[in-house]
Amino acid sequence: MMDDDPRAEPERDDRILETMAARLALLLARPLPPALLQPPLDLVMTILKRRHPGAFERLTELPEAEIVVDPIDMPMAFRLRLGGGEMRLSVCRRDDIGEPAALVRGDFAVLLDLMEGRTDGDALFFSRELTVIGDTSPVVALRNAVDGEDIDMLADIAAMLGPFGRLVRPARGAASRARSSLVGLHDLLLGPALRRVEGVERRLTRLEGR
Amino acid sequence: MGAFELICPAGTLASLKAAVDAGADSVYCGFRDETNARNFPGLNFSRAEMRQGVEYAHARGKKVFLAANTYAAAGRFAPWKAAVDDAAAIGLDAVILADIGVLDYAAGRHDGLGLHLSVQASASNPDAIRFYQEAFGIRRVVLPRVLTTADIARLNQEVSIETEVFVFGGMCPMAEGRCALSSYVTGLSPNSQGVCSPAEHVRYEERGTQMVSRLGGYTINVFEKDEPAGYPTLCKGRFVARGKTSYLFEEPTSLNAIGMLPELKAAGVVALKIEGRQRGRAYIQQVVSAHRAAIDAFGAGRAVASDRLGAVTEGGRETTGAYTKAWR
Repeated sequence: MMDDDPRAEPERDDRILETMAARLALLLARPLPPALLQPPLDLVMTILKRRHPGAFERLTELPEAEIVVDPIDMPMAFRLRLGGGEMRLSVCRRDDIGEPAALVRGDFAVLLDLMEGRTDGDALFFSRELTVIGDTSPVVALRNAVDGEDIDMLADIAAMLGPFGRLVRPARGAASRARSSLVGLHDLLLGPALRRVEGVERRLTRLEGR
Repeated sequence: MGAFELICPAGTLASLKAAVDAGADSVYCGFRDETNARNFPGLNFSRAEMRQGVEYAHARGKKVFLAANTYAAAGRFAPWKAAVDDAAAIGLDAVILADIGVLDYAAGRHDGLGLHLSVQASASNPDAIRFYQEAFGIRRVVLPRVLTTADIARLNQEVSIETEVFVFGGMCPMAEGRCALSSYVTGLSPNSQGVCSPAEHVRYEERGTQMVSRLGGYTINVFEKDEPAGYPTLCKGRFVARGKTSYLFEEPTSLNAIGMLPELKAAGVVALKIEGRQRGRAYIQQVVSAHRAAIDAFGAGRAVASDRLGAVTEGGRETTGAYTKAWR
């Protein structure tokens, strides 16, 4: 892919805008009653359905099942009901997960990469970055349906925001640049101190070995 | 095409396009039913998707093969007939078959359709291969993953059709097309229904910091915290025998013979196959592009880099499998 391609391989650390936005949204959502949260989630599903009809068709044809997707670095989890002719997304607290057919757990950025087909689910499972608990059948079906689509969450969010959607990609770029600057500043300020600490540790190790 | 024909997997239309774009010479895929050996939920192609995939590949000078490589059920032949007929109608370049009834049907009905003998036929000696060649006119045999490179070289001196071998991906250590381990536990067959360790029979449970892998109600593995995991298949299960817990058949590992291109070329191999129709398109893109680069480098007499694929291997481990093993 070309460097200026908006879909060009974002590193997981580069998911900063998506991660920050999701965390903020879920923090704000946590105290609210479920009835207030459902309409925007239904809108998300309506837009995803319009943009990815193939994946929706595959998933709604399945036997009914409930999957909880638990991004471990987020304040809440997501509950996805699929099969039986429809799909529904809701949020849930970790103390209210209940007993879904399956639970999928991982970092938010990992789950987002998986949803966009940027990483391989089996490889994440082998390396234990992704945890699956319960019945694997709906999880495999979900993974295959999503992987077969060209999903770009930023583009989907931009579509949801109408004219404001044009700001989404520049915002990701700005967030990424801000992160790089912060990392640079961190290295500049703390680098010499860290190197001194490492030197002291090495000397201590040598002394202990005598 | 370079020093070898590179045959790549695709479980979805998106994966097929990824394989073609990453440098596949040919892509193999299956219809969404029991006629193929990767009959997993949400995977494989509808007829319309297959048509789109063939158009996409042909427009770029690449081939598409249909894997219809399960064994037809007695008295219920219709899905396999339909798969072969539709492959011919859609314009696939070859069908990969194992069942002699399906081979006979394809050979008798569709003159121009290339026939490849699937690894599921487990044809591993010259007599078996000659039988399929003489009876059905197969053009190519996919060799089972039990032969050394020396075995392959000897075999190639005795047969007059092309040989294709696996170069990367999941390892099946059993007699392919004959294995009944998963059937015994789940009641569903990899050989006739295309489902080895069917997802609806697989459960994972957390036991403290351990992850327990269960198939058909039986515990087949327990992974410690952060220990690399593998597929939930019995052949890669960990069992207690004589008081010792170990992998009795095969450890979770992936075949990686990308460093053996010279030996495979010398053995007379024509085509290299990547396993993994069940894998995501990120795997397809990464593995296919690595093999494209390796084959091109080998063809140009340059060194072959083989250190880019560790992250996608099962259990985080690689093996050259039977190619360098002395066992039978």
